Amino acid sequence: MNAPESTYTQVAWPAKVNEIPKDIFDREDVYQLELEKIFYGPEWHAVAHAGEIPNPGDFKTINVGERPILVVRGDDGEIRTFYNACSHRGNLLETRVTGNAAEFECPYHRWLFDTRGALRGAPGDEDFSPSFCKEEMGVPTIRSTEYLGLIFVTCSDKTPDIETYLGRTKDALAITLNGDGRLKLLGYQKVLYDVNWKAYADNDGYHAPLLHAAFKLLNWQGGEGEQYGTENGHIGFESELKVPEDTGFLNDPSLLHFKGTESSKGSAIASIFPVTVITKHMDMINIRFAFPRGVGSTEVHYGYFAHVDDDEEMVRHRIRQSSNMLGPTGLVSMEDASIFSRIHRGNHTPGNVAFQKGVKHEDRIWYDFKQNDEAGNLPRWEHYRKSMGFNREEA
Amino acid sequence: MSNISTEVLLAIDSVQNSYIHSLDTKNMDAWLATFNNEGSYICIAAENEANNLPIALMLDDCYARLQDRVTYVTKVWAGTFEDYQTRHFTQRISTEEIGKDTYRVITNYHILYTPEQGQTNVLVTGHYDDEIVLGDTPLFKSKKAVMDTNVSPRYIVYPV
Repeated sequence: MNAPESTYTQVAWPAKVNEIPKDIFDREDVYQLELEKIFYGPEWHAVAHAGEIPNPGDFKTINVGERPILVVRGDDGEIRTFYNACSHRGNLLETRVTGNAAEFECPYHRWLFDTRGALRGAPGDEDFSPSFCKEEMGVPTIRSTEYLGLIFVTCSDKTPDIETYLGRTKDALAITLNGDGRLKLLGYQKVLYDVNWKAYADNDGYHAPLLHAAFKLLNWQGGEGEQYGTENGHIGFESELKVPEDTGFLNDPSLLHFKGTESSKGSAIASIFPVTVITKHMDMINIRFAFPRGVGSTEVHYGYFAHVDDDEEMVRHRIRQSSNMLGPTGLVSMEDASIFSRIHRGNHTPGNVAFQKGVKHEDRIWYDFKQNDEAGNLPRWEHYRKSMGFNREEA
Repeated sequence: MSNISTEVLLAIDSVQNSYIHSLDTKNMDAWLATFNNEGSYICIAAENEANNLPIALMLDDCYARLQDRVTYVTKVWAGTFEDYQTRHFTQRISTEEIGKDTYRVITNYHILYTPEQGQTNVLVTGHYDDEIVLGDTPLFKSKKAVMDTNVSPRYIVYPV
């Protein structure tokens, strides 16, 4: 008999809202409950952008939690989402990461599916069970929705509609996706960080001017902006885009040029709970798809995009900027990657971490922050705590 | 059978060895010195390369960008990352003369890394697709490191 949930997932959650217990970052039992409550619970997870699979038959595979997902643009042009498993015995249906297919065949027993997920044929079906119904044996589907081209899936039928779910972060998301979400894929940078998924997603507004020396060396000041949270754990950043002046620090300053037209809110981040981050900095449009690889590892796929109306020069500029500024080797982000590893090992020490920058209250949650406050992560932690059913200790 | 002389092959190997030695000794100025003044360097995932997707992990498409790569490692990132030791192992696979004193060379590579804690693991594996110009000193006109390792196991500080 399985032990009741409460006996193996007890966590001593501190009374102060700005304190987080460190043991949640390395406990296997907590991770298993996160899969159930969060990754397979009532949350939407971004798994693709329509710009990644523009043509009929284009597909992409990815994970939600540890569940394999198959995203396909069918021969009718419609994007559908499936669990990536044969409807017969559960064999992984597609092993490629991306590609184009006229059909999907499971090699185990040669069951054949079309790009809409329907079962087209199964050898020996005259000997199948009495209740076998070919029309009901398509590739198993997972509930999905689309917002500005972003394809979201959820394992739960209780998840609210996407606009309600995103709430205020719709504004930041629209900026990051260039307004209308009509994007063209430029490529990926993919990396496995040795960090618990929550610490990866806990990157904050406080560290940016301190950790990233490039901002200081380039005399690159951030523009005026705002940060806000939502009750269901999303975070939005919107700020004026400031272009660094050429200080002579770089031999090729063209990398830092801004060729877009909108700069009053030219930088934005939409951090969608639990683990998706979409950013627009300078001329870089970046969607970071991510999923846990166990309790101590997080795989991140940095997808970079152009807008479909870009001219050739703009596309070239986006390629140069994206390839050198962000990701696990980027001028202003490599240091983030190095911190992920360090913070994960440090989180194996006992006790709590305590957020400080921008913490106005210790007994309640609020939702508007300065852009360099680390307190902006606190509504997310509150949503996490409630989702997991962890009770706060008495003050 | 290749009709390229042993002397040429030795010259090609010498610049490749200078390149990997500069990285294994973390000498970024020596790394820069393996390129000529038209030099370029691209490090790109094989997945992107195969699908004609141009995003790279490092895209230094002119000599000024190569110089800035040295600045990234030695000035911008200094003191912010946990250092690691690399060991590059290479095997020249093919050599083709494509112009006067200019050769296209394909070389497999395998890079191990050892962080400060001392456990060694594979960083990335793949192949170099290079244009090498012979002269008084053989130099790279272009170097492309295509990574089979589409999902790198960690952040990458030094060029591949």
